[in-house]
Amino acid sequence: MARLHRQPICVASSLLVPLLVMGSPEWISIDGVGPAWALLWLLPWALTDGPISGAFAGLALGLILDGLSLGGVTQVPALLALGWWWGRLGRRGKQIQRSLNLGLLAWLGSVGLGLSVLLQVLIREGGSLDAFTQSWGWQTLWCQALITGLLAPMLVSLQLLFWRRRVPS
Amino acid sequence: MAPSPRPGKSRWRAFGQLGPWLLLVAGLLLVRFSKGAGFADAYALITRPFWPGPAQREWIVSAQTVEDRSRLQLLEQDNLRLRDLLELQRNGSRQDDVGAPVISRSPRGWWQQLELGKGGLQGFQAGDAVLGPGGLVGRIASVTPATARVRLLTAPGHEIGVWLPRSRSHGLLVGRGSSRLTLQFIDKDPNVSPGDLVTTSPASTLLPPNVVVGVIQSLNEQAVPAPTAIIQLIASPEAIDWVQVRTR
Repeated sequence: MARLHRQPICVASSLLVPLLVMGSPEWISIDGVGPAWALLWLLPWALTDGPISGAFAGLALGLILDGLSLGGVTQVPALLALGWWWGRLGRRGKQIQRSLNLGLLAWLGSVGLGLSVLLQVLIREGGSLDAFTQSWGWQTLWCQALITGLLAPMLVSLQLLFWRRRVPS
Repeated sequence: MAPSPRPGKSRWRAFGQLGPWLLLVAGLLLVRFSKGAGFADAYALITRPFWPGPAQREWIVSAQTVEDRSRLQLLEQDNLRLRDLLELQRNGSRQDDVGAPVISRSPRGWWQQLELGKGGLQGFQAGDAVLGPGGLVGRIASVTPATARVRLLTAPGHEIGVWLPRSRSHGLLVGRGSSRLTLQFIDKDPNVSPGDLVTTSPASTLLPPNVVVGVIQSLNEQAVPAPTAIIQLIASPEAIDWVQVRTR
C-alpha cells in the first residue's frame, strides 16, 4: 500500500502551494486569474495516496489557504471533498495517468471549488447577487478552471511520475 | 563759374544723391507702420541658439511645483487648524503615512487583496487606510508583526462611505469584484453626473477625510430605491509596488 504521507520530502512539497498562491505569477493567469494551485498539488497526491490521505491533505491545504486569504469564504469543504473523491478514483480500476484525464479531473475540481466559493458569496450576500458580482463570479470561475485544466497535464503528470516512483503500489 | 549747359541732368544728379536718404526714410516708415516686424523677426532668427531650452523650462516647472507644494502645505495646516476647531479626526496630515512594499497581490480572482511587507511593528492596525498613486486602494484587514493584509476596495462586498464634493452628497461605495464599483446613493435625487469626483467624506472618522477614490463613469437613475452609479477607481492595484498606509 502506498505510504506517500510517510515521506517527509513529499509532504514538504505541499509548502509550494501557499508559496505559489502568494507569489501568484502574473504570466500564469488568464485575465489576471491564476490557477487553483492547491488542486494541482492535491490531485496527484490523492490519486497516489488514497481517499483518507487525500481528504486530510485537502483539509490541511484548505486551512492554510483560508489563513492566507481574506475571511468570509472558505475552501475547506471543496478541497476536502475533492481529496476524498480523487483518492477513491485512484484506488479503483486502472491508474489514471493520461493527460486528458488529468486535465479533465483538474478542470472539474476547479469548477467545483469555484462553485463552492460562489455559493458562499451568494449566501453571504443574502441569497441574491447583482449583475456585476455574477459576472465577476462566473468569469473568475471559468478563467480559473481553464488555466488549471491546461496546467494539470504538465504539472500533475510530473508529480504522479515522481511520487509513484517513490511509493510503487 | 559758368552755368551748366544741361540743367535737367544736374537736377537728376541731385535727386540721385538724395535717393539713399529717401529710401532710408521709407524703410524707417515701413518699420514704424509694421510695428517693427522685420526687426523682431531678424532678432528672433539671430538669437534662436540662445533661447531658453528645456532645462530652463524644467526650472520654471520645478519652481511652480515648489510653489504649489508650499501652498498645499499652508492649506493643509490651515485645514488641520480648522479641523481641530471643529474637533474632527486629525487626519489629512501626511506625517502619519508609512510607505510599505507590496509583496504579494491578487487584484483579481476570488480574494482581492494585497500583502504588505510591513505590519504591526510599524504601527499598522486593522482598518488603516491604504493609499496608492491616485488615491485610496483599500483598508488593512489584518496584521502580523511583519506583514499586513489589505482588502481592496474592489473586493466583493467591501463597503465604504464616500462623498461627492461637487453635489455635496453622500453614498455607499460597494466592491463588485471588477475594477468598477457600485455607488449607492442615499438621496433619490443626488444631482451627480458622469465625471464627478468621489472622495472620502470630510467628516469621516473611519477613513482619512478628503482622499480621492474614483470618478463616476455612468449613472443609473432608474434604480430603486435610489439611483446608483458605476465608479472607476483612480488608483490601480494591479500596478502598484509601493503603497502608503495612513496609520491612526
